[in-house]
Amino acid sequence: MSDTKPYLDRWTGLALLLPMAALLAVFFVLPLARTIWQSVYEYGFTLRAYEMLLTSTLFWKVLQTTFAISFTATIVALLAGYPVALHLSRLPPSRRMPYLVMVMLPFWTSILVKSFALIVLLGYDGIINNALSFISGQDIHIPMVFNRVGAILGMTNYLLPFMILSILSSLLTQDVNLGRAAEVMGASRFTIFRRITLPLSMPGVLAGVLISFTLSIGMYITPALLGGRQDMMMANLIDFYTRQTLDWPLASAIAVVLLFVSGVLVAMLGKVRGSAGMREMSR
Amino acid sequence: MSFSRRSNRLVPGIAWVTYLFLLVPSLIVIPISFGGPGEMTFPPRVWTLDLYRQFFADPAWWGSLIQSLQIAVLVTLVTIILGVPAAYALQRTNLPGGKILGGLAMGPLLVPVVVLALGLYLQLGPIGLVDSTWTVVLAHSMLALPFVMVSVGAALRHLDPSYEQVALIMGAGKTRIFFKVVLPQLRAGIAAGALFAFLISLDEVIVAYFITGTDTQTLPVKMYSALRWEVSPVIAAVSTILTVVSLTFAIGLMWLERKDRHD
Amino acid sequence: MQPLIKDMIRVTALTRTYGSFKALDAVDLSVAPGEFVTLLGPSGSGKSTLLNLISGMTEPTAGKIEINGKDATNQPTNQRGLGMVFQNYALMPHMTVFENVAFPLRVRKMPKSEIETRVRDVLRLIQLDHVADRKPKQLSGGQQQRISLARCIVYRPSIILMDEPLGALDKKLREDMQLEIKRLHAELGITMIYVTHDQEEALAMSDRIVLMRKGRIEQQGKPEDLYFRPDTLFTADFLGSSNLLKGKINSTARSLDTAYGTFPLPTARSDEPISGEAVLMIRPESMRLVSDKASAPGAGLEATVRDSIVLGSFVRHFLELPGGKRMIVQEPSGASISRPARGSTVRIGWDLDDARLLPTDPDFQNV
Repeated sequence: MSDTKPYLDRWTGLALLLPMAALLAVFFVLPLARTIWQSVYEYGFTLRAYEMLLTSTLFWKVLQTTFAISFTATIVALLAGYPVALHLSRLPPSRRMPYLVMVMLPFWTSILVKSFALIVLLGYDGIINNALSFISGQDIHIPMVFNRVGAILGMTNYLLPFMILSILSSLLTQDVNLGRAAEVMGASRFTIFRRITLPLSMPGVLAGVLISFTLSIGMYITPALLGGRQDMMMANLIDFYTRQTLDWPLASAIAVVLLFVSGVLVAMLGKVRGSAGMREMSR
Repeated sequence: MSFSRRSNRLVPGIAWVTYLFLLVPSLIVIPISFGGPGEMTFPPRVWTLDLYRQFFADPAWWGSLIQSLQIAVLVTLVTIILGVPAAYALQRTNLPGGKILGGLAMGPLLVPVVVLALGLYLQLGPIGLVDSTWTVVLAHSMLALPFVMVSVGAALRHLDPSYEQVALIMGAGKTRIFFKVVLPQLRAGIAAGALFAFLISLDEVIVAYFITGTDTQTLPVKMYSALRWEVSPVIAAVSTILTVVSLTFAIGLMWLERKDRHD
Repeated sequence: MQPLIKDMIRVTALTRTYGSFKALDAVDLSVAPGEFVTLLGPSGSGKSTLLNLISGMTEPTAGKIEINGKDATNQPTNQRGLGMVFQNYALMPHMTVFENVAFPLRVRKMPKSEIETRVRDVLRLIQLDHVADRKPKQLSGGQQQRISLARCIVYRPSIILMDEPLGALDKKLREDMQLEIKRLHAELGITMIYVTHDQEEALAMSDRIVLMRKGRIEQQGKPEDLYFRPDTLFTADFLGSSNLLKGKINSTARSLDTAYGTFPLPTARSDEPISGEAVLMIRPESMRLVSDKASAPGAGLEATVRDSIVLGSFVRHFLELPGGKRMIVQEPSGASISRPARGSTVRIGWDLDDARLLPTDPDFQNV
């Protein structure tokens, strides 16, 4: 491509790209710049917002909550998702489709629908508590929603498709003959899993964990609807300062922190993906 | 294919627990929505359409559904009209800033939505552009753009540039080539991108929540507000409508992907 | 008292079907200890199915497999005590060469010191001890395949299965590896079952070739038996090239009446056709261009020279009989060779017992 003349000349190319570039400039670049600017500008340059964040116990508590919930939800998604990825990878491709549909279903349903469903399922008088009461004959009201458990379950449900597909792709690039060779050499199923399948799937696991964690720390709806009062996450705090206290610089400063953390995570993900891509190419 | 002929029950067993956890929250709203108006049980004690009557009797509910559908259709049109020529230009030129622009178009995927929502709110609020349908359309278009660029870009990478060269040598103009040679071969990619754009817009809550007002409220925003105050059974009907629309489109997408692989 | 083990592997009436397709159809096969047996055949002939059944990766539909005198039909793969070499090497990409070779020993929970010595020894045997700490992907294809052989030899399985192990290598490397595998086989005395679709490889390496066709064994024997004494048209056609003349047997005159003349039959065998239609097969190198007066069989067969080419140590004549039938004659070359001119007419002859009388076959109509 580089030594031949490109098919479209420069001006045609520019004309075709311009509308999209304009949309991105006005609705993506400017708002981001505005957020960063707003975090350091109030009648002149100031770091007041960041100073306030440093001393705000609420902010530190929310930051801690965000990381704790995100970390737990990611680990739960990993533990629940790995067996599914393993199951999918062992199915013949012709039989994989219906199971993939089940995995993708939560990806396609609105997060509000799933939140509503989880409230109805897990609530004080919810379907699960009612069913348990019916079976046991006692009045059972296990608190599973409007607390941290609810937030984590809701987020795990959201994260699972990403986690599963990420692990699945690294399981599917594994050569089937590796397992066969090990089996002929006398290795048991468990040994094959521990010494071959698991270590070779680590790039997928790592990518899945990074994707899940990145998505988690920016979550807004799930903690707001399924979490408890004390489970406010960064996104909810941004909303709180934006609309309740109208402290836009503070809201912006939190957004910048969130942007920075997810930026670091995305960069790490790029690195993991890059090395996984190299591995595939060297095959 | 599994490497061993002996089946193992442990992995599918654990996997099924997760499959259920994936499946139930997405589907349980459907039976609940046909229950009575005063209760939310599964299975419903009585089967009625009361919740749907309630939904359509309230203009605030069905009005926001109409609004959401309208916005989603416009978002689909905007992203396709902007995205397809741009993806084509990125593949067929080597403009100095092309790579950067291509990367930038993926940006909305990498930035937490709440940050974008705040930025849009700060940027558009003071100049009075919030609470307008077109603002929501363009903001959603920005969010959906990466998906359109990916699906159309993938279709373009599979398109052998020699078709265009041949047509050029035969004397066709580049505009004609774009419409008669390129576009027909990108049909599946464009259709997939369009379905993505529609779904992204239809289900989007956070940006819409920040930049719409009472006049422009979308269905998800209305639903979110309702869920925050009280969990009323009519939401089951709303959820079912939303799920059915989403799943119809998702099945369409999967069908397209499948067809693409077989062609 | 331990019974005397005669067969390393014995399969009886082994069958594998996929739906209505018979991948392997009631095959019987015995392999003696230390033997090098090649399963040869076109794709879909059942050779890989047979190998996978022996390894236990495919379950038989019917029949019995015995390994080392014990019934192994339902034994799990990892308990059969086999070794296997794959076409794509199947080396673990996340382990070093040393770790790859040590893997089967670790599975067997051998002491560390013994693992160390055995891995070093076997790497020295294949002359790759200097790459022990590298990852497999840093090595060439030939080196990787030698590592994969080493990984097999290291735990001294009594049988090694090889599934087209040289298929991914180029021609020169393939020939080197053939010698290497033969050397290891001779040195270690391990029973080997080798799958290939390459007839030259099969001829070069095997003690015995088992030629497979449509899930059955077509013919088996020493390489020279299969090449010079094929029992069927399929065998003759699959191994090397051949000249075929179809005709009707005249049992009183012991001759074959063909469209190109009547030819005497070779000395009778017990299993050859005795009446009806049959095909006379003569290898190109068994044929000669003869002078008019010669009394060799076929001397009456006149042909037009289409082309005649020197291929180093031999000359190959491409001839055409009246009616368009093609014949190939191959003669040793030498400095004094004179090639017939294109378009000239020559006569063909052969030694009577170099010809083979074969039954007709519906798959070979255009003979």
